[in-house]
Amino acid sequence: MITVAIRLVSYAALAYLVLPLAVIVGSSLTTTSFLAFPPQGVTLAWYGKMLGDPSYVAAFATSTVLAAAATIIAILLAVPAALAIARHAFPGSRLLSATLMSPLILPHVVLGAALLQYGSAIGLTRSFNALLVGHVVIIMPFVLRAVLPQLTDDQRSLEEASADLGAGPLTTFFLVTLPQIRSGIASGAIFAFISSWINVELSIFNTTAELTTIPVKLFNYVQYTIDPTIAAVSSITILVAAVTIIVLDLTIGLDVLSERR
Amino acid sequence: MRTIALLTGLPALFFVAFFLAPMAVVAIASLTNPAGELTAANYVRILLDRYHWDVLWVTFRIGALTTIACVLIGYPLAWYLVRVVKWPLWRRACVILLIVPLFTSNIVRSFGWMVLLGRNGLINDGLVASGLIERPMRFIGTETGILIGLVYILLPFVVLAVGNALAKVDPSLEQASADLGATPAATFWTITFPLSLPGLMAGGIMVFMLAVSAYVTPALLSGGRITVFSMLIFQQYSSVFDFHYGGALSITMLVLTLILVALAGRIGEPKGGSR
Repeated sequence: MITVAIRLVSYAALAYLVLPLAVIVGSSLTTTSFLAFPPQGVTLAWYGKMLGDPSYVAAFATSTVLAAAATIIAILLAVPAALAIARHAFPGSRLLSATLMSPLILPHVVLGAALLQYGSAIGLTRSFNALLVGHVVIIMPFVLRAVLPQLTDDQRSLEEASADLGAGPLTTFFLVTLPQIRSGIASGAIFAFISSWINVELSIFNTTAELTTIPVKLFNYVQYTIDPTIAAVSSITILVAAVTIIVLDLTIGLDVLSERR
Repeated sequence: MRTIALLTGLPALFFVAFFLAPMAVVAIASLTNPAGELTAANYVRILLDRYHWDVLWVTFRIGALTTIACVLIGYPLAWYLVRVVKWPLWRRACVILLIVPLFTSNIVRSFGWMVLLGRNGLINDGLVASGLIERPMRFIGTETGILIGLVYILLPFVVLAVGNALAKVDPSLEQASADLGATPAATFWTITFPLSLPGLMAGGIMVFMLAVSAYVTPALLSGGRITVFSMLIFQQYSSVFDFHYGGALSITMLVLTLILVALAGRIGEPKGGSR
């Protein structure tokens, strides 16, 4: 009886999770000039229209370059910080990790506003770099959170052995530590990249008509027009998400809810 | 010591320059006027403005209702995924269904609901066709519409947090409880549920914070008819350009959210716990 109820709620919830995405992908295929779901006829014309619009292509490019650059910088900053926090007890290490994690709980609108105001004081607004520093701040926690648990104590003895055998700290890092935390860096990087790629609340403060990311461009459009081109652009972002997740599942394993953990 | 400085120097510097300093600038701006004098006027203005109290009330009500709905739907779904589904392929598909939305922009997900909830959207068509309502309902521009969108966007957080907690519950504890004659319901309420509570609290708090500070979903589904607090902040920065007042609004929202979350954490602490 209870199991039946749980099943019913779950099926409904799963349908609820699929519905909006299915509607977008479906209506991007319609042959009508307005959004129709179920689609009337099937055409890829709206995708063609999107690819023929340089502003969409530019926004996709900006988003991707921004997310890639932010992710690389976040890794370069977060991995050393994680090493320091996990391997060296030092005064202020808790404060450091709390600070590095706090963008997770800070409303992005507040941080976006803060970066705009601060940026206008130091001459860093509405530019790629202004977007970049903000994105690094909000995605660093993802890398840190993925890497920290992988720096376990039992690796420590391997690192010490490496040092005893005469390896320098850098050699030890690249030959002993890095291979063990590689999967953590990879999953953290994927979460970081995607969080940057889909961000609106932070980016919106520093984008312009010429320099805009794909979600911000969509946001500005959707408020005024809804047409199948928008649905096609949105479908591409859904496709990117789906492919990323399937790749994640096949490489690192996404069985986040399994008892084996 | 040199190693630590080498490892933490850059990240610390980066965070001071692009996180702490901007937040400090906002805090200082909130306490000054355009002439640069120290004043509490911005906060007094918030306190005395009835409109802001209304917006705050709407914002926190939406946050609370979103959290409750996410918990009520998310707990059974997490239970289903961890305890009921036996077929690994289907479980995997479900987890992917849960995470794909998380990897899709709020814009796209809210856009989907704009289409679904519109006057001639699938939901209205379905409700009319089924005879439940006579004419299309208005969802866009109502709190119900915002709630449907926010619950959709935040549901995965609760499911993942609860699912993780449930997956870690030691089956032998439940077995022991059953062996000692407890009914399944008693076992659930005395063993399983308390053990899953930390996950439920963590997921719930996450959802509440994200719902209260959400901007995109309320902006798109309010149809301009409902204002939430993050919209006030955005207006001050993007069209009014009053950074002092905008700063005070930002700090107010931050502090209120943190206080409520701290209170929720306190309530959620297991009774007679380690503290």
